[in-house]
Amino acid sequence: MSFQRFASSVFTLAEMEARKIRHDSTELWMRAIQPALWLAIFGEVLNTIRGLSPGGYQYIQFIAPGVLAQSVLFVAIFYGILIVWERDFGLLTKLLSTPSPRSAIVVGKALAAGVRGVFQGVVIVALALILGINLRFDILDVAGVLLIAVLFAMCFASLSMILASLLKTRDRMMGIGQAITMPLFFASNAIYPIALMPQWLQAIAIVNPLSYVVDAMRSMLLTGDYSTLPTDILALIVSTLILVTLASISLKRLIE
Amino acid sequence: MTTIQESISLSESEDTAITVRDLTKVYGGSFRAVDGINFDVRRGEVFGLLGPNGAGKTTTIKIITTLIAPTSGEVKVFGIDVTSKPQEVRQSLGYVPQAISVDGDLSAYENLLIFSKLFYVSREDRDSRIASALEYMGLAERKDDLVKHYSGGMMRRLEIAQALVNRPKVLILDEPSIGLDPSSKKQMLDYIKRLNKDFKTTVLITTHDMIEADELCDRLAIMDHGKIAVIGKPKDLKKSVGGEIITVTLARDQSEAPESSKSSGISSIFASGFPKELGTLVSIENSTIKILVENGDRAIPRIIDYFERNSIGVDAISLSKPTLDDVFMKYANVSLESAGRASDTRSVRRTFTRRSG
Repeated sequence: MSFQRFASSVFTLAEMEARKIRHDSTELWMRAIQPALWLAIFGEVLNTIRGLSPGGYQYIQFIAPGVLAQSVLFVAIFYGILIVWERDFGLLTKLLSTPSPRSAIVVGKALAAGVRGVFQGVVIVALALILGINLRFDILDVAGVLLIAVLFAMCFASLSMILASLLKTRDRMMGIGQAITMPLFFASNAIYPIALMPQWLQAIAIVNPLSYVVDAMRSMLLTGDYSTLPTDILALIVSTLILVTLASISLKRLIE
Repeated sequence: MTTIQESISLSESEDTAITVRDLTKVYGGSFRAVDGINFDVRRGEVFGLLGPNGAGKTTTIKIITTLIAPTSGEVKVFGIDVTSKPQEVRQSLGYVPQAISVDGDLSAYENLLIFSKLFYVSREDRDSRIASALEYMGLAERKDDLVKHYSGGMMRRLEIAQALVNRPKVLILDEPSIGLDPSSKKQMLDYIKRLNKDFKTTVLITTHDMIEADELCDRLAIMDHGKIAVIGKPKDLKKSVGGEIITVTLARDQSEAPESSKSSGISSIFASGFPKELGTLVSIENSTIKILVENGDRAIPRIIDYFERNSIGVDAISLSKPTLDDVFMKYANVSLESAGRASDTRSVRRTFTRRSG
């Protein structure tokens, strides 16, 4: 019964987000511009350089999963700003005054970020189709990628909520978001293979969750080699669980 | 703590909705936002917490709604403790926070739907309740419009509609009329009254508006500096101020008075003590003196006579029936208006503590 209630609250918050996107998805479309540029310009130009991508793939094929992961990361890492926004109005206190458990509100909010993540994922897969990037557009693989996108968004939205509960203002959240995303992106295998990095950067890339997400997405969309997939997914699930728990504990700091 | 008429026997009983005992909330180790307060909200009544900004009303409400934890003391909602079983407590509460708490990016219908789900209203009841709530609050025609296009008054009505859908046993409203124009404010008060009457919903409301409190509340507690100064029915509280109030405005130019009494004029009122048979001094602010009397019409000539004998020039004199503002002034020892200016005058606080201690 109590698990049922927990799940019901979590999915209600995801539904709330989906309904908002249905009313107005302008923001998410605009967020698709940047990844489109990465693919259509950066990808096309560097496509002429051989040796950037291993396994004989074209460079644009190689970075497509990386760009997808990056755009989900952007949506998730700034999700805390929305939470601060909802705090500044009375909405967050209202959500927390419902009989729903506090942890269900946090998980639900993380899943709501996942809904936005899926939207981004679908847009970029469509973009890849339009640009004629040769990927494995197998239904199950694409579904798997979107599932990973949800988990990934939940993971970093939780991190973002923890940051929000510590920093408490929208401006600071903008600042920290900018400060985190680019280093995460560059210190990962999103736009170049880890093997090409200097030793010190490799060490960072190995512990960077984004690397595991990109690896998982790349194995499904590009190589079809699932050997590292279990490790990738396990790493993602463990970090999501830890961060969502920490976010549930720290959220009360935001309303005190 | 002073109590009027009813000496509250501080015991929980069947007809109690909310029990607050020795509740204290300390911020930053020393600031006592709520300082050992006690009160009961009875089932079915409209209970008001009245006081200036910073009196501790919102903190009290946030503790009752389990949003923040008390430092010490006990709060029970229908016998359930807020710290040990917060989710159960929230199941019986509807909360309208001070800030607008509906989601502008959703329609009115969606706002009601989402929150009814978060309140675990059963699937069978949901749709019919949402439809009738929208009808009841006069929002049915615009139910599919995004709420961000609503006026402030409509948003408040939607928040009350949420309470109609979720059917909480207690509805808690924190300064609900802030930012509303007079007609929406009146409309909102009417809806709260109807909700209380039609659905027997217990209402706990905070306000700094005397007129609102007077019109709406069955009983109220006057709060200042984290303490409750007095609890009672508005009518009894006003009676307790001792009758009617005479406001005397002293002449600015006291030159007509002889030199000797010029300096001693006003201060002599205090020095020798204001004659008790005339009335009780409530306050002296600048050149305005307020005096409590049993019967104003009879007291005026005697008071004029008194000032004349003491050679104090009087500019104007007026008689008014007591308002809750006067009550506030008597029990909190400061006018609500000036207390609201966040002038944390220590002397006021000391007197206040002595009075209530």
